[in-house]
Amino acid sequence: MRFVVRMTVRELRASWRRLVFFFVCVAIGVGAIVALRSVIQSVRGELVREARAMIASDVIVSTNRSWDPDVRRQIEERLAQPSVLDRTEAIETATMVRAAGRGVARMVELRGVQAAFPFYGQIELEGGLPYSHDLLRDRGAIARPELLAQLGIKQGDALLIGGQPFTVRAVLSKEPGRRTGAFTFGSRVFVDHADLQRSGLLAFGSRASYQLLLRVEPAGVESLTRTLRRDFGDRFVNARSYRSTEDNISEDMARAENYLSLVGFVIVVLGGIGVWSVTRVFVKQKIRSIAILKCLGATTRQVLATYVAQVLLLGLTGSALGIGLAAIALRAIPDSMTSALGGQALALTGSAVMQGLAVGLLVSLLFSLVPLLEVRRVRPLLLLRGGDPSIVTVPPFAFAQWRDRVRAIDWLQVSAAVVVSAALVGIASWQAASVRVGLIVCGGFAGVALLLLGAGALMVRAVRPLARTRIFALRHAVLGLRRPGNQTRVVLLAVGLGTFFVLGVRALQSNLLDEFSLELDRGGADMFLIDIQQDQVERVRAFLADRIAPGSAPARLIPVLRARVTGVRGREVNLDNFQDVRGRGSLAREYVITYRDHLEANETVIDGEFWSGQGVQPRAAPELQVSIERSIHERFSIGVGDLMRFDVLGRVVQARVTSVRDVEWEDSRNGGFMFVFRPGPLSAAPHTYIGLVRAPDAPTARAAMQHDLVESFPNISAIDVRDVVASVQGIVENVTLAISIVGGIALFGGVLILIGAVAMTKFQRVYEAAILRTLGASTKTLSAMLAGEYTTLGLLAGAIGAAGALVLSWAVCRYVFEIDWRPAPLLLIGGALVTMVLVAVIGVIASADVLRKKPLATLRAE
Amino acid sequence: MIELRGVTKSVPSGTGTLTILHPLDLIIRHGTVAAVTGPSGSGKSTLLGLVAGLDAPTAGTILIDGIDITSLGEDALAGLRGTRIGFVFQFFHLLPSLTAYENVLVPMEIAGARDGATRASALLAEVGLTDRSHHYPSQLSGGEQQRVAIARALANDPPLLLADEPTGNLDTATGHTIIELLLNINRSRNTTLVLVTHDPELAARADISIALRDGRVVETRTVSRKPADDVAAADVEAKEGVG
Repeated sequence: MRFVVRMTVRELRASWRRLVFFFVCVAIGVGAIVALRSVIQSVRGELVREARAMIASDVIVSTNRSWDPDVRRQIEERLAQPSVLDRTEAIETATMVRAAGRGVARMVELRGVQAAFPFYGQIELEGGLPYSHDLLRDRGAIARPELLAQLGIKQGDALLIGGQPFTVRAVLSKEPGRRTGAFTFGSRVFVDHADLQRSGLLAFGSRASYQLLLRVEPAGVESLTRTLRRDFGDRFVNARSYRSTEDNISEDMARAENYLSLVGFVIVVLGGIGVWSVTRVFVKQKIRSIAILKCLGATTRQVLATYVAQVLLLGLTGSALGIGLAAIALRAIPDSMTSALGGQALALTGSAVMQGLAVGLLVSLLFSLVPLLEVRRVRPLLLLRGGDPSIVTVPPFAFAQWRDRVRAIDWLQVSAAVVVSAALVGIASWQAASVRVGLIVCGGFAGVALLLLGAGALMVRAVRPLARTRIFALRHAVLGLRRPGNQTRVVLLAVGLGTFFVLGVRALQSNLLDEFSLELDRGGADMFLIDIQQDQVERVRAFLADRIAPGSAPARLIPVLRARVTGVRGREVNLDNFQDVRGRGSLAREYVITYRDHLEANETVIDGEFWSGQGVQPRAAPELQVSIERSIHERFSIGVGDLMRFDVLGRVVQARVTSVRDVEWEDSRNGGFMFVFRPGPLSAAPHTYIGLVRAPDAPTARAAMQHDLVESFPNISAIDVRDVVASVQGIVENVTLAISIVGGIALFGGVLILIGAVAMTKFQRVYEAAILRTLGASTKTLSAMLAGEYTTLGLLAGAIGAAGALVLSWAVCRYVFEIDWRPAPLLLIGGALVTMVLVAVIGVIASADVLRKKPLATLRAE
Repeated sequence: MIELRGVTKSVPSGTGTLTILHPLDLIIRHGTVAAVTGPSGSGKSTLLGLVAGLDAPTAGTILIDGIDITSLGEDALAGLRGTRIGFVFQFFHLLPSLTAYENVLVPMEIAGARDGATRASALLAEVGLTDRSHHYPSQLSGGEQQRVAIARALANDPPLLLADEPTGNLDTATGHTIIELLLNINRSRNTTLVLVTHDPELAARADISIALRDGRVVETRTVSRKPADDVAAADVEAKEGVG
């Protein structure tokens, strides 16, 4: 034991410089895991602490249509129990507001609250003003500073909501549970509950959430929530408690944490490949020393223990370095981002550190185990033979030798490889908290790695003819790629994977953004009007006629109703009531439906017959006719001839499926509907319209149009698609940035592996260079050889990465986003060239020693 | 005492088998200096490797002080080498990452000896390298490296010292020094010394000289060099073509 410890220390003293890449590889992965987990755990802690403030109550009961008196009465009966301590009401809706007499109108998320609001959490106002409901009474409003800036008004000025003036009495600095960063329709404005009800904004069919906030004895929270959910779930009423919010947050966060940790794991595995390659070359270089130790009486176990101890020490150092890196990274996160995440300080968490440490150690050990087992095969006899024991020449392939090869397989090494693979799946499953995900990730990684290795081998083979070229430097550059003990495949794998990540994500981003801007350029609608009342249709149409973009198609106003499927009687499915429908998952959700007498350009009938040209259905018809979308047909086995029952705003109607339509969703500027009804009976039901308009391009004209619209029709909201696209673009850019950073780390890992590989094979190059120099090669020739070798390597890695990115972007566009794919050739070619230059420069710089060393010293040392 | 009984060594080669050593019987008594000579490829180093347990014979048995080493496993062989056999190579084979002192210390550490530090220093003094003990192999000359290797071979005071062309990589003067050192050790410690050498001068100074050609013993010669009372008589039998 003492021998093992002493030898470990001595060996590390001599070779730590060569093994520095070993622990840097481990450090990057561990750093990623620890940092990602710590961030999410900190955020989760904060969110869970805030859960009660987020819903401002213990239990929140809500519905997105005005309270049905019958339902409300029954709910009140349930609430008449001692555990319900207090209650208050609130309404939330998105609407347009503007400053009196000025040109701009903005969409906001309006919340009307009563005096008791909020039960938990604090509404914080600017200037240290304490919040009190008196600020809202009699048409007072509290708004965010950015809204005031957009509208060009200040505290004390009037704000027109639903055409009625409200006075901005305070500026909102923080609302419990609402964070900057999250997607919203607009900024928050608080008004009094009664004022909102009187504003005329809550006309029939308007999108609004009516809420009942309850303060409940802690013991009664769960049972009350459960009862309400059970009894009113099918009557459009939802109930949730702060505990379920907390659970949801915890679940979402745990999922996010585990998925992000998998990203860290992938980086660790990439580092592991580095560890594997470093260990392999290291053992090769140590064969003579191992033989000597065996000759001096050391047992295989002692020698193996010495090297395993080294690996563990390096793994530990690497993990510690990774934790240090994570700590620095957390400090480097800017305050603006911290506040978007919840405003609390981010710090390393104990569990993240422990997990990082464990993963780092395990991965170091697992990835070095297989190459380390080579130690067993080293025979001391080789010391009696001359030559370089580190170079094992493989005889050319022949069938007769095949059996010898099989016999020569080290089954212990093979079983170790199997155990290592199983252990890696285990670690991945542990990190993702799911065996299935662990298997998928490991399988996917192995698949990609094999593909890259295969592609690498093919490409190396493809450049082989260059080895016969007359240009000396080029010939030797190509030969260098096939040098015994070369790192070509490992470098191709690592750098190729990094390039693949970065380019793939960039290609996808450019596809997505192109798609959005193309949609707008096609001259389609770029402004949506919602909540148009039936009696406003003609006036709105007239209003829009002279304000839309010149030369564009007239505004389209489409009737919409909200409906829910409550039953199906068909050949394949029979769902008698809403409970049965709910058993079919998303079929139970609320759908926006319409009626019309024609097919849109993006629709084709794939089964049955559409009622084009058949006119309206008589109002008294016992059953309506409905056309369903292909996905409804495929997912729920509902087909032509089946009878469906719908709850359309409380009215139950029966409809016979007469056709199945295929909607090209990519081209859904005219709106895509799952259910289209034949005109007639539904026209009589109360409903609203949405408008699709191509607004003028000039910002001032757009603003004027929005302003005039809100002035003439205060209840109508206009959603500017250009604003939405801009915010989506922002989100896409953030996501791209995040993934690019991960890809960047992977690429950085690849570069480190490259440097490591260069360093590990340098001894051989230095020797070769010394011989070539002795034979008359100039520094220029040697540099050209090196540059040629690394340029080829870089080009191959870049090409592999770019090809992978091409396939990735195609597959995701085609199957995930279902948008047209554009290959982004400039990006990919540029990316491959940058990779080539990067690898060439780093390779040559890392090999500077080869050019610097005097040949005599090298040859003597050999 | 070293005893070889019907030892042969063959290796597969291409389509057939190549015999490196033909059946060989050999006894080398304790305290003897034996020189193995012969041209390249005659089987000298193979013979030495077999005696050291670095390789296994194809047939026959090898006894070292009565222990049949052909029946021992890898680890038992390693243990035997650690305590009973010292080995000196033509290419020195010092551990490059260890200092001269540490190189000498290693076998004692492997064997778990307690007085390793003092002994290592004493051995380095014995080979005249006290002032070089903290140098790395790359900082030593060939002769110095070989002296460190000899000190290392003596670390556990083995009764048997095997040397594979110990002067093959050194100039004549340095070679002389090394030969004197080895013979002195044989005399002062009564160590059995088996040398593989091309050097006729060295062979002439051995108690027995065994000449190999194509894996067969072609000549054995016993030289009387010292008062017979303290040196056991060498008894060499070499039979060719047995079996």
